[in-house]
Amino acid sequence: MLNKKAKLSIYTFVFLIMALVVEYLYLDKTKAVSKSQIEAKKEFVSLLGLPDLAISTEATFIRHRSLSSTFEIYKDDGILREYFPSSFIIMNAKNGNIK
Amino acid sequence: MNRYINLYLLEYSINSLLRQKYKNIFITTILTFLIFILSSMFFITSSIKNELQYSVESLPEITVQKLISGKHYDIEVSRVDEILSITGVNDVTARVWGYYYFVNAGVNFTLVGIEQFEKQYKNSLQNLVDATKNFDESNAYVGQGVKEIMSKNYFKEYFNFILPDGSLKKIDIGGTFKSDTNLESNDVIVLSKENMRSIYGMSDEYATDIVVKVANPDEVVTVAAKIKLLYPDTRVITKNDLKVSYQNIFDYKSGVFLALFIVSLFTFFIIVFDKSSGLSSSERKEIGVLKAIGWSLDDVLKEKFYEGALISIFAYLLGIFLALGFVYGLGAPLLRDIFSGYSELKVAFELPFVFDIQTMVLVFFLSVPIYIASIIIPSWRVATMDADEVMR
Repeated sequence: MLNKKAKLSIYTFVFLIMALVVEYLYLDKTKAVSKSQIEAKKEFVSLLGLPDLAISTEATFIRHRSLSSTFEIYKDDGILREYFPSSFIIMNAKNGNIK
Repeated sequence: MNRYINLYLLEYSINSLLRQKYKNIFITTILTFLIFILSSMFFITSSIKNELQYSVESLPEITVQKLISGKHYDIEVSRVDEILSITGVNDVTARVWGYYYFVNAGVNFTLVGIEQFEKQYKNSLQNLVDATKNFDESNAYVGQGVKEIMSKNYFKEYFNFILPDGSLKKIDIGGTFKSDTNLESNDVIVLSKENMRSIYGMSDEYATDIVVKVANPDEVVTVAAKIKLLYPDTRVITKNDLKVSYQNIFDYKSGVFLALFIVSLFTFFIIVFDKSSGLSSSERKEIGVLKAIGWSLDDVLKEKFYEGALISIFAYLLGIFLALGFVYGLGAPLLRDIFSGYSELKVAFELPFVFDIQTMVLVFFLSVPIYIASIIIPSWRVATMDADEVMR
């Protein structure tokens, strides 16, 4: 029916789809957030009351967008508008911090 | 199966693609790379978005801060009782928290003080901490990132805080927060309020801000307005304000990604336009020969459709496969730096896996149909001519 090359191509396709499904199942099992983790996160946030994630600590506000660090470049905006581009987008120089 | 997919045509398409092996491998690689970059970006943002959504609900409804000349000042603790007397208010807490700059490593820690004698706090802490010592309120409890930075600077058992008057205050490290909360707790040090006050040199009459819990969500705005009336010198932030500001971040970020997306798409469109403006002479000849040996227009277009679909769907699947592995498996090695900034206190970037079907669909419709169209349209132009005209 199909020649060798065509068969091989179709098998490659099927293999890729299967690999994608296996990857999804693996990630879902290992990396997805379990209920207990969500509970822990919620408990932690309600304990601290700090809204922001500890990801981008070079933003002026660091953990609560209404309270800036002493290293702020701009005056904070009264209506909490996000204007600080490097909070997620721009990578700064490695030596940006005062040592 | 045969009713939907003509296997003979499929076989012909595959062989036709393999005849121009290098050109097609190049196109597949470019397309895969485009899909991979875009979906990686989207996966990271959707994970962060989800992470914030988990926690935003458990925040206090209202935060009250004192402002003088537009700057944040410590607020009087005596205001707690006044706010508590407003109808609808459940609970009011004066918080002591702030940032502590650790010069040796050039990082900001986030210090949070909690009430020593509040039972609920104690229970929560015990649930969340992997304790190394007996649970004691005079100890500090730190996030994973803080622990690593301190260890690097030889503070394994205790940490010396430098007080405003220049003297040192030694505080034992009681344990680290569990890695489940890493994205929230990485830069946090939790202490008792008394320790906090001595580290910051604050008197007992003042606090950093006041948080207010309101039982009925419909009353939050009213309560906030009343607090503002009561104390005109305060800034009153509701949970909703925070949600709006998050929405702003994501709109902003999505905007930046969209700009990137548009640039990539534009490039892609140029390739598509280039392809659709004409076929190479060998491709035209092929269609002419097929028409001459009796293929109908329908067959030619179907065969071309299979060609386009094979390449673009293969690239799409491979791109998504690689992006999932890159972001969740490897932790997004290069893109991570864009998101976490230059700070020394980097979070271990273990993003929670979220299967974002919307992103998948968006990327699919922006890549696959467009590529298929770019194959079919020029073929249709040629295939509608007479065979002898094409081959001449």
